[in-house]
Amino acid sequence: MATLVIGLGNPLLTDDGVGVLTARAVQDALAAHPVPNVEVVEAGVGGLRLMELMVGCDRAILIDAWTDAELPPGAVRRLTLADLEAIRPPQHLASAHDATLPTALAAGRRLGLKLPEDIVIIAVAVSNVTDFGETPTPAVLAAVPQAAAAVLAELRGAAETQWQGPGVAQ
Amino acid sequence: MKRISIDPITRLEGHGKIEIFLDEQGNVANAYFQIPELRGFEQFCVGRPAEEMPNITNRICGVCPEAHHMAATKALDMLYHVEPSPAVKKLRELFYMAFYCADHTTHFYALGGPDFVVGPDAPKAERNILGVIHKVGVEIGRQVIAMRARNHHVIQLMGGRKVHPVAGLPGGWSRALTDAERAEIEAIARQNVDFALFSLQLFKDVVLSNPAYVEMILSDAYTHRTYSMGMVDANNCVNFYDGMIRVVDPDGRELVKYHPRDYAQHVAERVEPWTYLKFPYLKQVGWKGFVDGPDSGVYCATPLARLNVSDRMATPRAQEAFEAFYETLGSKRLPNGRYQPVHYRLATHWARLIELLFAAERMLELAMDPDVLDPDVRPVVNTTPDEGIGCVEAPRGTLTHHYRTDARGILTKVNLIVGTTNNYAAMAMSVKKAAQSLIRNGTVITDGLLNRIEMAFRNYDPCMSCATHSLPGQMPLEVTVRDAEGRVVAHLRR
Repeated sequence: MATLVIGLGNPLLTDDGVGVLTARAVQDALAAHPVPNVEVVEAGVGGLRLMELMVGCDRAILIDAWTDAELPPGAVRRLTLADLEAIRPPQHLASAHDATLPTALAAGRRLGLKLPEDIVIIAVAVSNVTDFGETPTPAVLAAVPQAAAAVLAELRGAAETQWQGPGVAQ
Repeated sequence: MKRISIDPITRLEGHGKIEIFLDEQGNVANAYFQIPELRGFEQFCVGRPAEEMPNITNRICGVCPEAHHMAATKALDMLYHVEPSPAVKKLRELFYMAFYCADHTTHFYALGGPDFVVGPDAPKAERNILGVIHKVGVEIGRQVIAMRARNHHVIQLMGGRKVHPVAGLPGGWSRALTDAERAEIEAIARQNVDFALFSLQLFKDVVLSNPAYVEMILSDAYTHRTYSMGMVDANNCVNFYDGMIRVVDPDGRELVKYHPRDYAQHVAERVEPWTYLKFPYLKQVGWKGFVDGPDSGVYCATPLARLNVSDRMATPRAQEAFEAFYETLGSKRLPNGRYQPVHYRLATHWARLIELLFAAERMLELAMDPDVLDPDVRPVVNTTPDEGIGCVEAPRGTLTHHYRTDARGILTKVNLIVGTTNNYAAMAMSVKKAAQSLIRNGTVITDGLLNRIEMAFRNYDPCMSCATHSLPGQMPLEVTVRDAEGRVVAHLRR
């Protein structure tokens, strides 16, 4: 079963880079302890392009920054597409310029593209996505290992991890 | 207070905000189109090696990384005083045409399509790419995705990565082509030409044969007689990769034609207190406010503007489409043989398809050029850098990168004028006019307001992520209407 891990966001915009940093951490972990049929990519795209990246894979795990006033920066959450629909437009996925991810996926399916049924989003709550900078704020940077662990747990079939509270997931 | 919320969402960050102010009679006095600010781009770049810029600026935005990559690479050519070989220029342009084929296709079908193919008054749930597929059929939808896929393949092949290309070097291009790859790209270009011709036919069948759409295109609500700006080759034909910047007045007379490195002599930037984004205008004409006409320095840099500044298209079938465009829209030929400019902003969608055809034909020409097989595409650079300006036509307007460095090549100053920014004043005017058509004497027709306003700025193909250096492609829209006392009378969100 082919799984694609996509680190989303702009690594030059402070906390927005958390998805890409997490993807790199996942890549490093996989280099040490490989899981078969997993590809890790980074992409600052949404909507149609994101949907197209997923064509052909059986499962996709997206990692993205999430601006949510309710959550403290650094909190890690596991979301599904249904959750995305409920909170739309999530980061990157709505625009005068693109379709939302759920719309793009619906369009892709309508056109008969082979798209994964199993799509999980590991979201990291962020605070600053408006200043240029290559390093996330401390709480968000500190969450990278946890977010990477969440992705690896998905990959290794141990996704029963509890997601609660900021910064800690046991 | 009447407050209407459409499609409420949980976050407000990153919204395009439109504030509409009414006068005592309840008519539109002013409309302000605001874009959220991102901070610190220049400071972020200063102190870094200039050769990083093609790979930094292509991260600014997920919509046109290829355009930033190319403008930055061209700025490095000048910065390091190295003239690219014909092979390098052709490889870069070939890559860039593949990008145009993908991008213009996406805009027409996924973004313009909801306005024209589905219709401006269609239910909101259908005004998206799903609605377009429903209207035109699954087979055409598949072709759109196939068009994107094969051109993304070329971009990856030639640019080195799926999304953010890395092939640009000062004076060079890191990836030479094998003959097998060239042949594959040639086959793709042929398919692109067919698809572009098909798309123009679709535009005729679906849009031009519908009197309601034609009336809308020709209506005053979507007309602004501004100056036009665009890049032209030595024969005054549209060119996306290289050339001179030509500006024509609303009647089609050339105001100026200048080398992109002289942009600062011709374009100034107006600062307004209500938005951090600056409004570029023509220095020679001057800033007269958000008005059109020959006395106002407001200009456009869009597919429509690029056709307006050009005498003709450089490829045969695009030239046929170009003539049909001006003849159909009632444009007369001037004494010098040029067509009068078209100012119907919604015709920009049509102009974009003509550019798509040109990009496809030009891609085919380049793919058949033996020069693109030259393996010698990485020149050794041994000059002292100082200052570089690089310019291309991004799909959404003239894109200029300007860098200064010390003798080690460390950046000391960075300035970008991105495609969308050129059109910011014109977009603000279009938004106001669209609002005026739906707000009269205190009556706010909220049903169509958001759609009409969306249509007004969408034809410019704005990329606010670019203009603000913001999150890739993100720009939800929020509209607030206030009466003469500043009270909110309507509030719409998307």
